[in-house]
Amino acid sequence: MSVRVTIQAGVDDEAFRTPPPPGEEQRRAARLKSQQRADRFRSLAAIGLMVLAFLAVSGQLIRLSMSGQEQERLSVNAPMATAFARPDIVDRKGRLLAGDVVMPSLFADPKIILDVDEAATKLAGVLPDIDVDRVREAISDRDKRFVWLRRGLSPAQAQKVHDLGLPGLSFRQELRRAYPLGRLAGHVLGYVDIDNKGRAGIEHYLDRVKHVDAVHGASLSGKAPLRLTLDVAVQFAVEDELATALKRYKAKAASALVMDVRNGDIVAAVSLPGVDPVVSSQRFERARIDRLTQGTYELGSIFKTMTVALALEQGHTLETVVDVRKPLEVESYTIKDLHPAGRPLSVAEIFLKSSNVGSGLLALGAGQDAQEAFLERLGLLGDLATEAGSVAKPTRPAVWGEIETVTVSYGHGLAVSPLQFVAASAPLINGGYLVKPRFVAQTHDGEQLSQERKQVVSAETSRQIRAIMRWNVAGKVGTGSRADVPGLRLGGKTGTAEIAGVGGYQEEAVISSFLSAFPMDAPSYVMLVSLFEPQGTKETKGKITAGLNAAPTTARIASRIAPLLGFIPGPAVEAVVDR
Amino acid sequence: MKTALMLSVLLMLTSAFALYAVNHDTRKLEAGVAAQEKTIEKVQKDIAILKAERAHLARPERIGKEARELGLVPANRNQFTGYADPDPLKRGRGRIESAEDAVGAGGS
Repeated sequence: MSVRVTIQAGVDDEAFRTPPPPGEEQRRAARLKSQQRADRFRSLAAIGLMVLAFLAVSGQLIRLSMSGQEQERLSVNAPMATAFARPDIVDRKGRLLAGDVVMPSLFADPKIILDVDEAATKLAGVLPDIDVDRVREAISDRDKRFVWLRRGLSPAQAQKVHDLGLPGLSFRQELRRAYPLGRLAGHVLGYVDIDNKGRAGIEHYLDRVKHVDAVHGASLSGKAPLRLTLDVAVQFAVEDELATALKRYKAKAASALVMDVRNGDIVAAVSLPGVDPVVSSQRFERARIDRLTQGTYELGSIFKTMTVALALEQGHTLETVVDVRKPLEVESYTIKDLHPAGRPLSVAEIFLKSSNVGSGLLALGAGQDAQEAFLERLGLLGDLATEAGSVAKPTRPAVWGEIETVTVSYGHGLAVSPLQFVAASAPLINGGYLVKPRFVAQTHDGEQLSQERKQVVSAETSRQIRAIMRWNVAGKVGTGSRADVPGLRLGGKTGTAEIAGVGGYQEEAVISSFLSAFPMDAPSYVMLVSLFEPQGTKETKGKITAGLNAAPTTARIASRIAPLLGFIPGPAVEAVVDR
Repeated sequence: MKTALMLSVLLMLTSAFALYAVNHDTRKLEAGVAAQEKTIEKVQKDIAILKAERAHLARPERIGKEARELGLVPANRNQFTGYADPDPLKRGRGRIESAEDAVGAGGS
């Protein structure tokens, strides 16, 4: 419509126009031409700019799609995230050990709180464990618009606070970690901080392997649960029996580990006194350290299992006779047996009677280099780590001379963590191959496992060690007869290690341990039970040796967990080995 | 020309109306999806709490106590038998009275 009007106006203009002066037409034409050129230039410039803009946008899009999008997203999300969504942790049978739940957290807007004292007092009335002074101080600062007062309230507590009707108090939904089984497996699980971020144990492992999502708000993780090798029922049975043993033998602490000797799956790992994953400060109490992984100890005569294996690897047999009649003089030290045999002993008898002199002679016969190399091969001297964290490094003798060779042969002078000792003892029981202890279930098939196997002792040595361990429990002369469980065919070795103190070893402060495996004709599980500083009782006739406390504790644990692990107690088969 | 123009206008109006209807439906569906997602999220949160509560109720400490009250003890070889030995009570120590019995001779 506007075009038509313009044309009409042009016609009218033409009709009444006076003739232009001479030369005016050319000037006008030139002006028009110049204006057209300018218009074309502007159009081209505008088009050029738009093309450039499109090219810039396209270029940016290509750049973003080519470069790591994940990193870009993380860098944007991480500072904004208020919490971390974690997958569930379940045991080997899918039973829940830890999971996220959404819970209300209480915050305040100090600017709209009317009466600070009233608010603090009323809050203390419904949340008795809240620090009133801290709350009063926090909500007194009127410049702030957001102050956390209490994170992770139960729904009932939140309702009580809501019912107070105090202005300025409000709730925000947050993810909190729940441990429905309480302190069960507390050391293994670790703990999370106030923002739901893993700080120790398996919880920290989840963060390390990026199974945790940074989230804004209270969104649950969509990731599959992390399946552990632990068995909740076995873990509880071991904890329960160990707690009973702790009282019964008046020990300061106790630990027990049950590991599948075929693949390193840790089925139960207990260290008492335990820790509650919710109370993270407990982990830093000295009495509550995880003795299985965080402490190194001289474990005593259970080391003779290694010494006898070394002798067998060196060509000795269980019948090889060693003269142990005299005390062993090494450097300026004299090594004696608690109950001297008064006659030469076979290698088997050295094990069964737990002769320090015999063990020392076997180690000296092998030589210190061979002993060190053998223990190294078993993984007893190197670093070890599991998914739950690194294991305390073994404390080696400063100088590995002759006397150290002798003392190490019966478990003194070399301090290791119980977990590392169990891992090193596995090859002596399973046919000779190393296994790596693990807490997270793997999905290897049998073929893969056999390819990964590293043979460190011969199958024959392993068979003989099994035989002698069974003999030590089922025979008449062994020190482990109290560990026998009818029908289970359990074998083992006792170890009573004096604890080093000021001015030497303390006779009355010992670590009593029992290394065992079952069933000995087809070993599936290895177990190490340790009691720290047990006291003599009426039942043990005042004695504190492992055969009287750690061995019967092992029997109680084994009898409870064997059915849970699928072993039907069979008829008595005492002669499971050819001895 | 006029007819074509009218038809175009009609077509445009019809398209606009159809577009509006589709847009409206889409928004409605989006709102429905958002509501369902919210419900899913709430149900997931409820499931998380229920799972934790179920695990808490099924904790071995509680189950073990109830099992003991019912007189249950760990499996013992006297509870099993072979074809050649049909009467386990004659072979073993007899009836299992307690967990101590289950441990057997080496248990204390």
